Amino acid sequence: MMPLLSIHSVHKTYRLGRVPVPVLHGVSLSVEPGEFIAILGASGSGKSTLLHLMGGLDRPDAEPRGRIEFQGRDVTTMASGELDGYRNNAIGFVFQFYHLLPEFTVTRNVLLGAMIRHGVLAYMGRRADLHSRAKELLEKVGLSHRLTHRPQELSGGERQRVAIARALMNDPPLLLADEPTGNLDHETGGKIMDSLLALRRERKLTLVVVTHDAEIARRADRVVRLLDGRVA
Amino acid sequence: MYQLALTYRYLFSKVMPLLAAVGVALCTLMVLVTWSVMSGFLGMLINTGRTLVGDVSVGWPGAGFAYYDELIVDLEKDPLVEAACPMIETFGSITPPDARPRGVLIRGVEGASYARVTQFADTLWWKPVDEPLPKDKARMDPRLDGLGKAAWSEIYKNGLSLTRPDPRTGAAMPAIVPGIHVTGLNRRYIEGYYKPLLIERRQSTGKSEWIDAFLPLDPDLPVVVTVFPIDSMGRPYEAYSRNLPVANEFQSGVYEFDQSIVLMNIDSLQEMLKMKEGLRVVDAPAAPSAQPHGESFAGAPPPATVRDPARVTNVLVKGRGDMSDPARARALRERVQEIYDRFAARHNGEVPSAADIEFVTWEEQNATFINAVRTERTLLLVLFMIISFTAVLLVLAIFWAMVREKTQDIGVLRSLGAGRGGVAWLWVCYGLAIGLVGSTVGLIGSYLIITNINPIHDWLGKQLGLVIWDPKVYYFTVIPNRVEPLDAGVVFVCGILACGLGAFIPALRAAWMNPVAALRNE
Ligand SMILES: Nc1ncnc2c1ncn2[C@@H]1O[C@H](COP(=O)(O)OP(=O)(O)OP(=O)(O)O)[C@@H](O)[C@H]1O
Ligand SMILES: [Mg+2]
Repeated sequence: MMPLLSIHSVHKTYRLGRVPVPVLHGVSLSVEPGEFIAILGASGSGKSTLLHLMGGLDRPDAEPRGRIEFQGRDVTTMASGELDGYRNNAIGFVFQFYHLLPEFTVTRNVLLGAMIRHGVLAYMGRRADLHSRAKELLEKVGLSHRLTHRPQELSGGERQRVAIARALMNDPPLLLADEPTGNLDHETGGKIMDSLLALRRERKLTLVVVTHDAEIARRADRVVRLLDGRVA
Repeated sequence: MYQLALTYRYLFSKVMPLLAAVGVALCTLMVLVTWSVMSGFLGMLINTGRTLVGDVSVGWPGAGFAYYDELIVDLEKDPLVEAACPMIETFGSITPPDARPRGVLIRGVEGASYARVTQFADTLWWKPVDEPLPKDKARMDPRLDGLGKAAWSEIYKNGLSLTRPDPRTGAAMPAIVPGIHVTGLNRRYIEGYYKPLLIERRQSTGKSEWIDAFLPLDPDLPVVVTVFPIDSMGRPYEAYSRNLPVANEFQSGVYEFDQSIVLMNIDSLQEMLKMKEGLRVVDAPAAPSAQPHGESFAGAPPPATVRDPARVTNVLVKGRGDMSDPARARALRERVQEIYDRFAARHNGEVPSAADIEFVTWEEQNATFINAVRTERTLLLVLFMIISFTAVLLVLAIFWAMVREKTQDIGVLRSLGAGRGGVAWLWVCYGLAIGLVGSTVGLIGSYLIITNINPIHDWLGKQLGLVIWDPKVYYFTVIPNRVEPLDAGVVFVCGILACGLGAFIPALRAAWMNPVAALRNE
């Protein structure tokens, strides 16, 4: 079976002025469909960097050239417009600090991916469908009573649930979560993971979660450790 | 879609950009109010400037040209021409009863034909009126009653015919119609009406008396008119003065004209200027005693004479239909020129050729003061455009700060699949929305201000003693209060585009942000 995402010898070097800061040197990893992978590693080992590369939010070094293939298509050679589409359709991101838009209500935050996907007319045309889908997702994460609230009015755990619903709006096959429970207490974090895993089962979602939490790592199908810019 | 939704949200949740919108509103308001008032002013000036000049003038200043009656007949046969009339224009001076002489431009016209070609009849000031002037709420205008309707009608009729009835015989005597500011004996009130002054007349005996200086009525207040005749060859005679009564006074609406032009009966002026038909002695080459003044001594051998036809310096032409479009006036001028060409060919050697004659449209005739106001208007506009540029900078600065504040959100949008173009468009869209709000407010505000500009001005005058539109300076009693829809549209669109422009650079900054760096931004 073809892996959902396969990474071959990817390098990433940041530049601080003229000084090159190598972060990833030759990471290879393959993610099977439906798999739940936990990525562990010391702080600064490049976990977030790897996740951003997987999600097409950043590009790996051109030299030495590696490959990141999503369902056989090389993400690293996509034009920027294509990459935008990739992030919009194939990937759902969940961040440690939720990153909700404060001007939007909970529902609108969830709808954001759909708003980005569709133009005004197309969006208006399927407005009712999209709204009921957003509502359904919010129900799944247990927030059906918070639809018209602003993010500022929610607790950290609730905000992260909104972020998860938002990431799933366009029904992506791959969810990338960067320390989704890092900002939450243990109990809340556990509940968030419960919801994520429930959603994963229901949607046959592939899950890649960066974490420092051994508990989460324990629940994963596979644990990948990053050490010195390589998969250990 | 997200651009629209976010713009809408940002619009009502952020104070700073709304301040920018206020700035934009003030700029559009300022530009639109100034432009409208200045354009209205210009329009009024152009219209009033046309009142006494006709649409096209055929001129040969100084000596004048002959057979003008024939030219007028030719002109009036043309379908483009509605009417034509003769006029003599010359410099002279007048000495009103207060004995202070002043230099004037004297125009000899024939009342009836002049009124057909120009709006002379409307400019006559002293006439019966029923409605007070717009600002004359207290009905202080003496023309409203004062002398009574019959007397005012009489004075009006005198003005039209440029005559006054002789107080003893009742026969019509030639009279003058000076501009209302020529004699300096009419006091203009802020409401726009005039009242004659009381003047002190000094007599040679050293005594003096106070008299009411209402010249069109008083039989004993003639004005001394002095002209400087020249013959058909352009040689000067001696100055010629004559006492003439005042029939009426005119107000054309152009201060320049109203303080320097005196209309008088063309026959009298021709006589004074020796432009009437007459015999002229031709200087015999062998007669050294001949005088330059064209007179000859009695007893000399009978001199050779020629018959000089009557002359005028101008023929004024009124076109058929609306000639307020300068292009139409120029077309009329071309036609008049052709007609004159044929006329000159018939009188070869007797009248100046078309190449020498001045053919000018009303616009060319008033070019100096029209251009002055036009330049003023453009200058003001340029100035305000520069000021309005600050609105663009304001938007730029505020949006620059907003993009910085919203960096993380930009990262989020990018992570959800928004492209660079889409993010840039979000900010431009927001800028345009600010512009739309600002320009709309400015447009409504300026419409309200312009249409109520006169009451506002009056109120300011009463409350603060502030008279911006001093009728002594600007001469029109009311401030123009029309908004040209086209101008308003242009200003409106420019206001919106300016904001789009101001938002453009911050938008580019947002678009070129690295999404990962944007997300990491704390
Ligand atoms: N824009 C950048 N310029 C220079 N160096 C960077 C940049 N972004 C990240 N780095 C460096 O790259 C390294 C990896 O960063 P990354 O955020 O991927 O680590 P991480 O494993 O996610 O750490 P943490 O567990 O603390 O989140 C760090 O040493 C960081 O300093
Ligand atoms: Mg990290």
